[in-house]
Amino acid sequence: MTTLTRQDLNFGQVVADILCEFLEVAIHLILYVREVYPSGIFQKRKKYNVPVQMSCHPELNQYIQDTLHCVKPLIEKNDAEKVVVVIMDKEHHPVERFVFEISQPTLLSISSDTLLSHVEQLLRAFILKISVCDAVLNNNPPGCSFSVLVHTRDAATRNMEKVQVIKDFPWIVADEQEVHMQEPRLIPLKTMTSDIVKMQLYVEERAQKT
Amino acid sequence: MEEVVLHYAAGSADRLSALLETTEKLLEPFPCRPPPLFTRWFPPTAGRPLPIRPAKPPPVISASGQTLAPPHSLQQDGSAPLQKPRDEPSREDGDSVSMSETPSPESLFKTSRPDPDRVLVLDSPVRRSWSVSSQRSAALRRSQPPSKQFDHMISVHQLNLRQRAKWTISQNHCEPSMEQVWRSLTRLIRSCRLPSCNANIQRDREQIWVFCDVLHSEQVGGFLKEELKLTGKIRLSVHKLGNVFSL
Repeated sequence: MTTLTRQDLNFGQVVADILCEFLEVAIHLILYVREVYPSGIFQKRKKYNVPVQMSCHPELNQYIQDTLHCVKPLIEKNDAEKVVVVIMDKEHHPVERFVFEISQPTLLSISSDTLLSHVEQLLRAFILKISVCDAVLNNNPPGCSFSVLVHTRDAATRNMEKVQVIKDFPWIVADEQEVHMQEPRLIPLKTMTSDIVKMQLYVEERAQKT
Repeated sequence: MEEVVLHYAAGSADRLSALLETTEKLLEPFPCRPPPLFTRWFPPTAGRPLPIRPAKPPPVISASGQTLAPPHSLQQDGSAPLQKPRDEPSREDGDSVSMSETPSPESLFKTSRPDPDRVLVLDSPVRRSWSVSSQRSAALRRSQPPSKQFDHMISVHQLNLRQRAKWTISQNHCEPSMEQVWRSLTRLIRSCRLPSCNANIQRDREQIWVFCDVLHSEQVGGFLKEELKLTGKIRLSVHKLGNVFSL
C-alpha cells in the first residue's frame, strides 16, 4: 500500500470529477423520484450499470451542469463538506433536504480498493437507495422547486471566488429559511467509505409538508 | 413462551435428548444486532457559516415540457417566482383540426431552447406535429375480406393478427408533397377514419410511418393509397421480419 498526498497524481481533481459526475446523476434522479419536475422530461438511462432517470430538458440540464461545474473547484480543494439538494414548497420553505456529506482524507492510501470499479459499486448503492427512497418519504406538495446548497468548511465569502467560474452563473449566500427546518425527520440512506473519499447521504424531511 | 409439542419417531434415548437439545437451541431468542447509531458528520451548529447557492433559481417546467419561467426572470432570492406561460404558437398550416401534439422531449425542447443571453424565445413561431393518434377508439369494420396473398403472407410468417405493422410512405409516393399528404393523413386519423392507426412523420428520413394492427393492415393500406392518392408501391413491415407485403 502506498501513501500519497492530495497533490500527488492530482487526486483532488480525480475525486472532484468522480463526485460531480455522481452528483449530476443523483440530482436528476432525486428530481425525478421526488416529482419536482414532470416525469415526461425524464428518460431512462444506464449509469453505474443500473437504470437511472435523467432529464432531457436542455435548460434544466444546463442549470445542473452549471451548478456542478461551479461546485467542482470546491470539492477539488476539499473545501466542500456538504452538498444539499433542497426541495422547497411554493412558499420556498424546505420540505426535504438530501444531504451529501463529503469527507476526503488528506493522505491517500492507494490500495486495490482504490480501483474505480470499486468506487463505482459504492456509488451505485447510493443511486439504488435514492431510487427507492420515495418508499420512506411522504409525498411532497405540488409545485415544489429545488435548490442546491453547498456548505463549505470556511466562511462562504472566502469561497465565493472559487465558485464564480461561470460569468453568467453567480452564487450567493443562502437565506436562513432555506437552510433550517423545524424538527426534521432524519432518514439515513447510505454511507460509503473508500480510500479516496467518504460520503454519507441522508434526508431531512419536514414533519408537516402541507 | 408458548407450549411447543414435538412429534418424533420413537427410538433411542440418545436421539431424544439430542432432539430436545436442538429444539431448545432453535427456540432461543434470535440475536438482534442493534443498528449502528447514525450521526451526522457535520452537524448543524449555530456557529457554522451559511451555505452558498446559485443566485438563479432552476427553470420551472410545465407538464408539457415547456419552460414556464426563464431562470433570469425570477428574483435572485427566489422568493417571488414570476411564472408567465408562453403564448400558444400559431399553427403552420392554419388547419382547423386540432392535432394531438405528442412530440418527443427533444423536439419539444428545441422550440424552447434559450438564446445565448438565456432569454427564453421561440426559435420559430411554427410548431409542427410529428405524431398523430386517434383520441377515440373505434373498431374498423372490415368491409372486404383479405386477399389470398395477404392471407398467405400471414400464414407464412405466422403473424398475430393483433400485432402492429407499419406502412411506410416515402417522398416518392407523395404528390404533390409529403407535408400535404401528412396533413391529409392527420385529418383522417383524427376523424377516426383510420381507427387503430397512429402515425408519425420522419422528416429527416422523408418518410411517414403509419402503424396499425396486422388484422386491418391490408384495408388500411388500400385506404391510404386511395385517399392520399399515393403513387407506386407502399410497403408493409413488421418488427423483426421487415417488409412482408406491398400494395
